[in-house]
Amino acid sequence: MKYKQSLKVLVVEDNLIDRRILESMLLESSDSTSLLKSSDSLAGALQLMSQYEFDIVILDLNLPDSHGEETLLKLNKQYPSVSVVINTGAYEDEVGLETLSFGAQDFLVKGKYNAYILNKALHYAVERKRVEAELVNAYRRLKDAQAQLVQSEKMKVVGGLASGVAHEVKNPLATLLYGVTYLSQKLSERDANVDSVMENMKQAIEKANDIVTDLLNFASLASVEKKKENLDEVIKGALSLVRHEFSRHHISVVKKIEKSLPPVMVDKNRIEQVLINLILNAVHAMPDGGDVTIRAYNRTLSEDLEDMPQLRRDEFKPGQEIVILTVEDGGCGIPEDKIDRIFDPFFTTRRGEGGVGLGLSVSKNIMDIHEGCIFVENKRDGGVRATLIFKVSTEKGGVPNGQEENLNRR
Amino acid sequence: MVKRKILIVDDEENFCDILRLNLESTGKYEVCVENDANNALFAVLHHRPDLVLLDVIMAGKEGPDIAIEIKRDPRLKETPIVFLTATVTQQEVEAEGGRIGGQAFVAKPSSLDVLLDSIERNLVAA
Repeated sequence: MKYKQSLKVLVVEDNLIDRRILESMLLESSDSTSLLKSSDSLAGALQLMSQYEFDIVILDLNLPDSHGEETLLKLNKQYPSVSVVINTGAYEDEVGLETLSFGAQDFLVKGKYNAYILNKALHYAVERKRVEAELVNAYRRLKDAQAQLVQSEKMKVVGGLASGVAHEVKNPLATLLYGVTYLSQKLSERDANVDSVMENMKQAIEKANDIVTDLLNFASLASVEKKKENLDEVIKGALSLVRHEFSRHHISVVKKIEKSLPPVMVDKNRIEQVLINLILNAVHAMPDGGDVTIRAYNRTLSEDLEDMPQLRRDEFKPGQEIVILTVEDGGCGIPEDKIDRIFDPFFTTRRGEGGVGLGLSVSKNIMDIHEGCIFVENKRDGGVRATLIFKVSTEKGGVPNGQEENLNRR
Repeated sequence: MVKRKILIVDDEENFCDILRLNLESTGKYEVCVENDANNALFAVLHHRPDLVLLDVIMAGKEGPDIAIEIKRDPRLKETPIVFLTATVTQQEVEAEGGRIGGQAFVAKPSSLDVLLDSIERNLVAA
């Protein structure tokens, strides 16, 4: 029989005679085996597997250093993609069958097979493992797609609700705000207490408005108008909108923007919104003041993308030109047990201080719509670094006006 | 100093009452109010204000439709209009330099100073 693929085989068998039989059977048809190694212990097998890439392992379960199904489980745990065929003693059919439920592809009973059956079993086992891997992959993709669907449905519901509620709440807030403004002018008896009550009421109204505004931003991601923009300008725009926060919190802004950044296709207002979120997070991370550092530079992704492990490989290809924008603070960082949840809607580390927990969630949605990427990490020397990745527009020409693109997502 | 006349068109009576008091207490404005959106054009004709503060979402008729009616009337078309509405956020208004689609906007809620500033700018422009 001709096999379309010759296999790289590892024989793990502590009985010398059994091992020799297997080896000679495998070598009988020279085109079916391209690599053959043997070991008489599990440790030896794992050592060989770290050196070579095997298609299949013929495994005796009872070895000097491991017994029974444990042997299979240990091997599978370290090398889940390698196919395994169990070599069992005579009259051990039941044991053999049982191993199938522990992840073996097949089992052979010693003395009851020949070279022909062995080769066929090995090729079938490898093929079964390949199909199994495909199935697992397909299942995972299906699960991902389902989760995304559920998420986007959730967003739609939250979005619709939020924009309705936001509008209805803002109107009475306006009445309250002008009412308080009027009363603070007209109160005849002025003292420190009255002033502070009035000021507290105004702040409460502003806070309620901020929360509602966040909700609204969260809800209104349906229309995005992307144009060729220079990120330097977007950064300037964002900074001008939050400047008042800097003096209030004793923050200095350090800007390190590379000259002649290539333009990117973005909705300026949306990216400004992302930047404002990141900058305000940085400001709030440093209640006693400090530096907020904003960097922007461009580069080309390397062949293996290894220097950017956060990027999804199906979205970013090697050779892709990107612009990287980072916002860093010198605060105390995000607790490690919370860092996985920071993009969840309504998750906040500042509950009770005015945080509603939509800033990063909205930012992530905005970056997704831009086919970009956002990640947040704790720096080694303390503080947090938030990173935005934009693909550089490949369209030729300068910054055109009126080239608009409406995306209807969510 | 001659007081400038401002017409508030908004279907929320409480809001209009309080805003009127605020504007009047500056001593600079004479304020009239119209709560019925369907009656807005008539109110502008009747009061001939120097500026209209116009809500967007109202029962009966929406602000932008009223604005079109005002602009179409040769007697009224020069009257400046400031949309005072919860349909935009102050952040959006500021990002656009106070005008959205060529129209002056003030978000609800925003401070009285922001509103007065917009009123003055649009009165001067008239």
